[in-house]
Amino acid sequence: MKASHRVRFEVVAILLALYFLLPFYWLVQSSTKDIQQLMQGTFVPGFPNHFIDNLLGVFAYNHGLFIHWLLNSFLYSGVGSVAGTFFAAMAGFAFRRYRFFGRKFLFILILGFALVPGFATTLPLFIEFKSFHFLNTGWSIIVPSVLNVFGVYLMAVYWNQVPEEMFDAAMMDGTKELSIFLRIGLPTILPGVTTVLLLSFVAIWNNYFLALIMLNRYEAFPLILGITTISSASGWPVYNLTLMGAFLTALPLLILFTTLQRFLAPQLTGSIK
Amino acid sequence: MGSGFRRFSGKADMRRFQTVRAYLFLLPFLVFFILVTAFPVLYGGYLSLFGQHGAKMWFVGLSNFKSAFTDPLFWQGFGMPVFLLLVQVPGMIVIAIFIGLLYERIRHSVVYRLIFYLPYAMPGVVAGIVWSYIFSQSMSPLVPLWNLFGVAKPIFITLSSVRWILLIIILWEWTGYTSLIVYSTLVSIPKELGEAAEMDGATWFKVAYYIKVPLLRNTVFVLFIFNSIGAMQVFNEPRMLNILLNLPQNYTPAMYLYNQAFAYGSFTYSIAMGLVLAAVIFVISFFFMRQSMKELDVHA
Repeated sequence: MKASHRVRFEVVAILLALYFLLPFYWLVQSSTKDIQQLMQGTFVPGFPNHFIDNLLGVFAYNHGLFIHWLLNSFLYSGVGSVAGTFFAAMAGFAFRRYRFFGRKFLFILILGFALVPGFATTLPLFIEFKSFHFLNTGWSIIVPSVLNVFGVYLMAVYWNQVPEEMFDAAMMDGTKELSIFLRIGLPTILPGVTTVLLLSFVAIWNNYFLALIMLNRYEAFPLILGITTISSASGWPVYNLTLMGAFLTALPLLILFTTLQRFLAPQLTGSIK
Repeated sequence: MGSGFRRFSGKADMRRFQTVRAYLFLLPFLVFFILVTAFPVLYGGYLSLFGQHGAKMWFVGLSNFKSAFTDPLFWQGFGMPVFLLLVQVPGMIVIAIFIGLLYERIRHSVVYRLIFYLPYAMPGVVAGIVWSYIFSQSMSPLVPLWNLFGVAKPIFITLSSVRWILLIIILWEWTGYTSLIVYSTLVSIPKELGEAAEMDGATWFKVAYYIKVPLLRNTVFVLFIFNSIGAMQVFNEPRMLNILLNLPQNYTPAMYLYNQAFAYGSFTYSIAMGLVLAAVIFVISFFFMRQSMKELDVHA
C-alpha cells in the first residue's frame, strides 16, 4: 500500500475520532462551568473553575436526593445483574446438559417472547405491579431486571463450548448435578459469565423507560431517571447540575468499558440502551 | 429379552430424570419469565379488548385495534422509524464497513477501536441530553465551527432540523459498535485472500469491494435486522430532545404509546397499539429467529 494512502486513512481516522470524542470532551469541560459560563458556548473549561461547586451542588440538590439515585442505581443494577446472570447460567446449563421434554419448544418460546418489545409488555406489567403494590418501590425495577432472556441465549452459546467429557468425568466421580454446575461448569465459562454480568449491569443502569413507567417517587429513582428531573424550585432547568448529574451517571460505565473492554466486546444480541 | 426391556425402561427413566433436573435448573428463570414477560403479554392481549376511562373498563372486542389501524397519529409516528430505516441504518452500515476496513490499515488501530466504541458506553439518555445542549441555541459551542465551514446560519435544534440532529446522535451512538462487529468478521477472513489480489495489482478499493464486502453478507444481514428493530422502538433520544423542544406527542410510535397512556390515560388503547407495534417488529424479527436457530443448533 502506498504511503500517501496510509496518510489519507489516518486523517480520516483522526476526524472520526474528533466526532466520537466531541460530546465526551464537551460534557467534561461543561462540568467546570456555572450557568453563565455555559451560556457563552465555548469549548474552553470555565474560569474560574466551578467543578467542585457543581459537584457539591448536585449532591446537595433537594436535600441529597442525588445520593438516593446513586445508591438506587447501584442497588438495582447490582442485584438485577447478579441474580439475572446466575439464573441465566442455570437455564443455559439446563439447555446444554439435558435432553428434556419440551426443550426445543421452550427455547423457541423464550426467544419468541424475548422479541416482544418492552413497549408492549411494560404497560400490562405496570398494571400487574399495581396489584402487587410494587409501584414506586425498588421491586418494580429489580424484578423485571432479573429477567435476562438474551443472557440465556448467550449462556447457551457458552455452555455449548464445554466438552461433554468434562461432565462425564464428573459424573463418574459421583459428583452431584448441582456441584457439577457450581464447581466445574461455572468456573469453565467464567469469561462468559462475566460478559453477561457486565452487559446486564449496564443495561439495567441505562433502563430509563422502565423507571419512567414504574416510579413516581423521587427517592426511588435511579440516576438515569433522576437526572432528567433536575430543576429549580420554580421548575426551570438547571443546566449545570443536569450536566454534572449526566457526567456522574455516565462515569461508572465509562470506567467499566475502558477497564474491562475485553469482556464487553459487541455481542450480536441487540441493544443495551 | 429381559435386558432389552430393561434398556427401554432405562431410557425412559433417563429422560424423566433429565426432564426433572432440567426444569429444576430452569425454575428460577421461568418464574421471572412468566411474571415479567409471558403473563404481561397475555394479560396485555386481554386488556386490549377493553374500553377504559379512568378505573372504569368495559368489553369492546377488537375495537381498540380498529381504532389503532385507522388512527392517523399512530401511523404518522412511523415517519421517524422509517426515516431511520431508510437513511440511518443503511448509512451507518456502510460507514461501519468503511471503518472496519480502516482498522486494518491504520496504526494504533486498537486505540481508535476503543475511542469509536466509547459512545456505546454512554447511556442513551445522557447522549440525548449532551447532544441536545450542544445544538441548543443558548449553549451551542459550534457557532464558530459553522462560520469556519461557511455555513451562514448556525444549525440549532428546531422542529425542522430535529430529525437530522437525531440522526447525528444515533449514528454517534451506534457506528463504532457496529464497526467492531464488522471488524470481528473481517479479522476472520484469511489474510492471503486480499494479499494475493494485491500482488496481482488490485487496488485497496477493489480488494475491499470484490473480496471482503461480499464475505460480510451474513453480518450485514443480522445488523440490518437488529437496527431495524431498534429504529421501530426509538424513544429515549427524542424524549430528551423534547426537553428543549416541544415535539408532537406522536413523534415516534413509542412516544405516542407513552403519551396516550400517561398523558391521556388511555391505557388499554395504548396496550393495543403496543401489540400492533410488536407485530410489526415480529415480522422483521422472524427472519432473525430462523437464522439464530440454525446457528445454535437446538435441534440436536
